[in-house]
Amino acid sequence: MGRLKKARFHLMKDLGAPALMGLAALKKKKRPVKPKPQFGPLLRSSGRLREIMTRHYLLSRYAEGAKPVAWVTSGAPVEMLRPFDFYTVYPENHGALCGAQKMGAELCSAAEERGYHQDLCSYARIDLGVCFSGKTPVGRLPKPDLLFASNNICQTVMYWFEVLAYHYKIPIIIFDTPYNFEEIKEADIAYMVNQFKDMIPVLERISGKVFREEKFQEIIRIARETSFTWGEVLATMKADPAPMTIFDAFIHLAPVVSLRGLPVALDYYRLLLSELKDRVDKGIGALVHERKRLMWDNIAMWYKVRDFSNLFAEHGMNFVTATYTNAWAETTPHLKEGSPFESMAKAYSLIILNNNLNHRLSLMERLIREFRVDGVVIHSARSCKPYSVGQYDLKRLLMERLGLPSVVIEADIADPRAYSEEQAKTRLEAFFEVME
Amino acid sequence: MMRFEPPSRREYIRDQKMRQGRRVFGVFPAQYPKEILWALNILPVEIWDPPVKTTRADAHLQPYICSVVRSGLELVLQGKCDDLDGFLFPHTCDSIQNLASIVNDYLGIEKPCYFFYHPKAHYGPSSRAYYLEQLRNFASTLGKRWGAVEPEELERSVSQGQQTASLVREAYDLRAAGTLGATNEEFYGVIRQGEFLHPDDFLPLMRNFLETSKGRSGSGSPVILSGVLPNPPELLRLLDELHVRVVEDDLLNCSRRLIVPPVSAADPFEVLTEQYFLMPPCSTREGSIQARLEYLFEKVERSGAKGVIFWIVKFCEPELFGVPQLVEEIKKKGLATLVLDSELHQGPSGQIRTRIEAFVEMMS
Repeated sequence: MGRLKKARFHLMKDLGAPALMGLAALKKKKRPVKPKPQFGPLLRSSGRLREIMTRHYLLSRYAEGAKPVAWVTSGAPVEMLRPFDFYTVYPENHGALCGAQKMGAELCSAAEERGYHQDLCSYARIDLGVCFSGKTPVGRLPKPDLLFASNNICQTVMYWFEVLAYHYKIPIIIFDTPYNFEEIKEADIAYMVNQFKDMIPVLERISGKVFREEKFQEIIRIARETSFTWGEVLATMKADPAPMTIFDAFIHLAPVVSLRGLPVALDYYRLLLSELKDRVDKGIGALVHERKRLMWDNIAMWYKVRDFSNLFAEHGMNFVTATYTNAWAETTPHLKEGSPFESMAKAYSLIILNNNLNHRLSLMERLIREFRVDGVVIHSARSCKPYSVGQYDLKRLLMERLGLPSVVIEADIADPRAYSEEQAKTRLEAFFEVME
Repeated sequence: MMRFEPPSRREYIRDQKMRQGRRVFGVFPAQYPKEILWALNILPVEIWDPPVKTTRADAHLQPYICSVVRSGLELVLQGKCDDLDGFLFPHTCDSIQNLASIVNDYLGIEKPCYFFYHPKAHYGPSSRAYYLEQLRNFASTLGKRWGAVEPEELERSVSQGQQTASLVREAYDLRAAGTLGATNEEFYGVIRQGEFLHPDDFLPLMRNFLETSKGRSGSGSPVILSGVLPNPPELLRLLDELHVRVVEDDLLNCSRRLIVPPVSAADPFEVLTEQYFLMPPCSTREGSIQARLEYLFEKVERSGAKGVIFWIVKFCEPELFGVPQLVEEIKKKGLATLVLDSELHQGPSGQIRTRIEAFVEMMS
């Protein structure tokens, strides 16, 4: 890593980024945002979240050449990279950002022009579109030195990251988590532990840093605390009225995904939790009149978050839980400093998408019970087959077992071209009628 | 009538059960240790492209799920698997993974369902140790219900698997050298009978095929076929008609799992493990694009192919991701490429025919 680039990175980290962001904040103050009448007051913590994520992407521009840069999938055990001081970038998080900024279609098209089929995952197409076009709402993404993927969320990330590995001619590490068709087996855990051990010399070589057990254990502790606190944040939505909506949670999810294992994420969730608890104590809801409580299944439709938030709020319906946001809190208790590899193997392979559909049904039933859910909105996401295949049966089973109404919206996570406003409107109108 | 016409699957399965006393498993794509099933006197019958009209599966699967998964589920839902004794789902892709869970967890089917996971991480000592353990666990799990695997039976099965691989390899070698007198349709018609015939029947079929087919191949443009499976037969017939010779393939259900090099070891589980890690690169296993390219170029080298056709089942993510980079590199070598995606059983349309004709012209 070049000395000049390191110095520039540290200069930006300590002086440049705070100064630039201070200026941006001043500009922002001139244009205060008023919430719509159906919503409660805005979350104060959102400003801090914006600062953290802006700083993260801003600094990423200067990380290239100053620090080893890794592109990481959302379910990968990033704790393995932290002891080696990798600057981590999450293409899925970035894809969500592009989707929310309505750049999904343009970036997907850039990949499609190079032969990547429209049927492929839109996060992947957006990411490849960014590689080919250089366009991104965050200014620039640093070129990676390493790709780190885990198939605990899908097999797609392996194919996608293999394409990146070939494109950039850089090493790739795949953390392979055997799918739990039934219960997890000792052989599976041993296999995953061995993979962790095999990674260490590779990471040492790429980063030029030596693995230190103590540092690693501290990172595991911070990661566990962060996920645990995230779980507490989500649990505040059990309150009636819920102090935030799941659409807020989709946005506040970013640090636990992208900055897990770093103190900044933990500090942030402590701040957010404190604010939410305060709102619960004072009976402040995300909606002024919360009449119905809903569950969301699958990844968000990033280009529709605001529209859906408004639409459901107009009907007095609040999403109080989601299988998606819960995924980063679900397996937290498994993480243990004393047995980092074994505990990480369990924490990362027992997540919702690496488990059979009975597990998913049980999890949904538990969340429905705990959060007192009245109905479920199921996003059938074209991009995400492991999340979507089985949803039609889930809908049927939720009705048969709990008498719970639900609706399936056929759409996509970040490519708005796969979303039909008319079809969604028809289905949602029918759903709203049933819910009344 | 085509030479080596396959027997009716239904009748063959009935015969295997009645006369041979075999159990029969429906096996979804793609890679699994069939030798362990044979050793337990279980006949694996693979479910790749059953000729069923899809009606019921649509209630369980979204429109963007591939027709391999859709038609496989349809077969189950229509009760056409009622004669089977169990199902096996190898871990091939996200869709098959969740299909396995739908069938096992949600459909209330009273047949045992088994799952076989093979390593996806880049191959090393950990994945090798894990695969070996997976094989032993698989045998042990099956043994609990169907009787323990006898070592001598497994040795016999492994030997039959190796004989099969040897004959398939020979067929591919002859075809690449232009010394196998069989049309595309005949070649794949025979090779694919291994998807359901017991080796006691498939081995003599292969020997007979090789004996009666050695000779000059017909003339025509030599190509490599890449993708999932050579379906529908109309495509192969069209290629025959247009004098396109498939001299090699990179198909998931053909060479990527059938071309297994000879391996020797005292322990049959070790043999199966070695064979697995020597299989050609594949998008559904350890699938680096560099390795796949090198494999394709080796095939070009030995067969003299002038072009590569990527015949992709619509919505197949494992295949679709690698195609643009493979195409780009293949073109740099001066070879023609053609990418087609289609549903199973959707015969070549007029447009596809025109594109294939244009592709043939490019090669000549």
